Amino acid sequence: MRYTRRSSLALLAGLAITPLAAVAQQDYPTRPITLVVPYGAGGTTDISARQMATMAEKILGQPIVVENQPGASGTNAMRSVASAEPDGYTLIATTSSPSFVTPALRDVGYDTLADFIPILNYSGPFHGVVVPADSPYDTLDALIEGAKSGAVTYGTAGAMGGAHLAFASVAKETGAMLQHVPFDGASKATAAVLGGHVDAALVPAYRDLVQDGQLRLLGVLDGTNDPEFPDAPTLKEAGLAAEFPSIVGIMAPAGTDPAIIAKLESAFTEVASSDGFKTFMTDLSQPVRIMSGEDLAATIEENLAAYREIAKDLGN
Amino acid sequence: MLVDAFLELLNLWVLVAALVGIVSGIIIGAIPGLGPTMAIALLIPVTFSMQPIPAIILLLGVYQGAIFGGSISAVLLNVPGTPSSAATAIDGFAMARRGEGGRALRFALYASVVGNIFSCLVLMALAEPLARFALDFGPAEMAMLMLFALLVIVLFGGGSKLDALIMVLVGACAGIVGLDPISGTPRFTFGSFAFENGFQLIPVLIGLFAMSDVLLQAFDREPLVGDVEVPPLKSSAVRFIELWRMRMTLFLSSLIGTFVGILPGIGSTVPAFMSYSLARSRSADPDAFGRGAPEGVAAPEAANNAVTGGALVPTLALGIPGDAVTAVILGAFMLHGLAPGPFLFRDHGLEVYAIFEALLLSSIPTVLLGLMFFRVAIHVTRIQPRHLLPAITILAIFGAFSVNNSLFDVWVMLGAGVLGFLFRRAGFPLPPLLIGLILGAPFEQSLRQALLTSGGGYGIFVGSPITIGLVALTVLSLAISLFFSLRKPRL
Repeated sequence: MRYTRRSSLALLAGLAITPLAAVAQQDYPTRPITLVVPYGAGGTTDISARQMATMAEKILGQPIVVENQPGASGTNAMRSVASAEPDGYTLIATTSSPSFVTPALRDVGYDTLADFIPILNYSGPFHGVVVPADSPYDTLDALIEGAKSGAVTYGTAGAMGGAHLAFASVAKETGAMLQHVPFDGASKATAAVLGGHVDAALVPAYRDLVQDGQLRLLGVLDGTNDPEFPDAPTLKEAGLAAEFPSIVGIMAPAGTDPAIIAKLESAFTEVASSDGFKTFMTDLSQPVRIMSGEDLAATIEENLAAYREIAKDLGN
Repeated sequence: MLVDAFLELLNLWVLVAALVGIVSGIIIGAIPGLGPTMAIALLIPVTFSMQPIPAIILLLGVYQGAIFGGSISAVLLNVPGTPSSAATAIDGFAMARRGEGGRALRFALYASVVGNIFSCLVLMALAEPLARFALDFGPAEMAMLMLFALLVIVLFGGGSKLDALIMVLVGACAGIVGLDPISGTPRFTFGSFAFENGFQLIPVLIGLFAMSDVLLQAFDREPLVGDVEVPPLKSSAVRFIELWRMRMTLFLSSLIGTFVGILPGIGSTVPAFMSYSLARSRSADPDAFGRGAPEGVAAPEAANNAVTGGALVPTLALGIPGDAVTAVILGAFMLHGLAPGPFLFRDHGLEVYAIFEALLLSSIPTVLLGLMFFRVAIHVTRIQPRHLLPAITILAIFGAFSVNNSLFDVWVMLGAGVLGFLFRRAGFPLPPLLIGLILGAPFEQSLRQALLTSGGGYGIFVGSPITIGLVALTVLSLAISLFFSLRKPRL
């Protein structure tokens, strides 16, 4: 573990209040809560977490300070929160990639299941399979069939991301020649499919381009349909045994008092289900998808296992 | 759009940001030995918590102010703050010795405003169409463009080509550290999690351009500026007719500055000297140049200010910075969520146009503050950099830490500082290193993406009109460079 000044201070503070802990949880929170965001300021995860924090402050009665710790696809922040004092004052707003994709691929220095207690899931952008409007492929089936006679290239936001792994398992299962081309972020992958440099792309934030008629949505990688495009099937509906569920949720370090977790879950759920939050997220083109802490834990566990299998097949 | 963007500027914070930026730029630039790149690198962290528009305006204000500030020390002390104001110093200092320092500075100020406005108009005209065109830039096109950019900085960046090549390669090698862009596996991380993210641009930049300066000055026995007697500054004025007479010089210099600026990687030194020579060759009295000709001050100043607008064109449309300063500004754009490329104008058109308009309008406060600061600047030029070294060090450490709240970045910054110090001490130029670091990793990624989409065939690199054009440009630049080095008599 890394000893930063902050963690030593936290440790000292933790030691000092240990005898009082039993009492302290009654009136938790008594000081500001830090909500770590594993990405840079200004991204959708950051903006939605800040809104969540602003609205939950009023319910919890203490400020919630958002702290950005970007880097290494979010694993840096996860590692630092995993080793933080489990007192309910350090939380993380995290996503699929550092929760169950990257940990399935290589040692990241934390175990999502053992080191964290999921509190709730509140969002998660749908990832679509999109092709240019003039593409010869009208359905997922046609795309897969096309890829059996010649290589079809698809772009994603990055190497070994959830979208890549989902399609890698589709390719393995169907024998289609799906050639992955990783880009540096989803917007570059979207630009590449718009410019016709790749045949398809697996990207979030496709709504406006699909409604504009510049892109065609063949399906979604999630377990459920995108309510805005109910006709686009999930991979499972299209007969493919793969999915990439997208999560955006809040977690606490393992060992946090259950009473504190319950208090946080009820506060954050109240915010997530409010109309104000829904309007805010719609403006941000993000869905609100509420899942309890237990369900989130189950989703992570299930996908961690699934992704380990896929990673094994890829030879990692 | 233009009106909406203008309304965004009617905000107290925008005004404050512009004024603070310009004033601190003029002051930092006027201190001998401190230049615009360092000023911006140090001030980026200050803008972290600001809204994107004021943040970028602050940084651009710093840049404009520092360029002008640099000409103050060039004219009055013959100590150019940046290599690009070296051309200004030739005639500027000659004028100052004649007691016409005030006039020289006024010419420099007005010429830089002309250059800035010209290039800003070109930027507004070109950036959005080019960004729309950017969708046609797939991996193969990007790879060829970046190859061209890297070649240009080696061949035409000035100085030794071998030095520049070595620096570009050092930068590109540093860019390999981190996760492999195609397979996602760690490379050269030595098992350390901190290395997985690679070397972050801003800590490296602060190290290379601010920390290395501190070390350089701390270890240099010779002070940069001795006790130079500042020539008396008589009150003076420049009449409009004098500027009007040199309108062709101003126009041609701005043109050179803008379009050389668009070429990635060259920077502002080359266009400053190019326009100086052009002004001299077009002049009716070429012998006056070097002995205090106002046109000799105006030409390079117009050119080196025009570079910014030009360099922002490829930076914003394609994400390829033209020089060290635009690389810093690119970093600031990304940090504030404005990702350059085809979607920049679609998603953030308002912010971008507000920034363009601010760049255009900031000429007004630059002139006013510039005129006000002449006399103050004389005192500023007496500040020895050594008095500021502790403050710069603290800002550098604070800035590197605050990017990611990570101590690792502070070590990266200090490492880059020491490396930058050694390189500069050994006479290597740093801007090619930075461009190599910025373009190396995306070049590798584009190259490999293109080969993935083509199934391994190299034909994709000459498979579209854009790639053919870029390959032709690359071959042409190599040929030109070869031609000139063969024709030059060897000693």
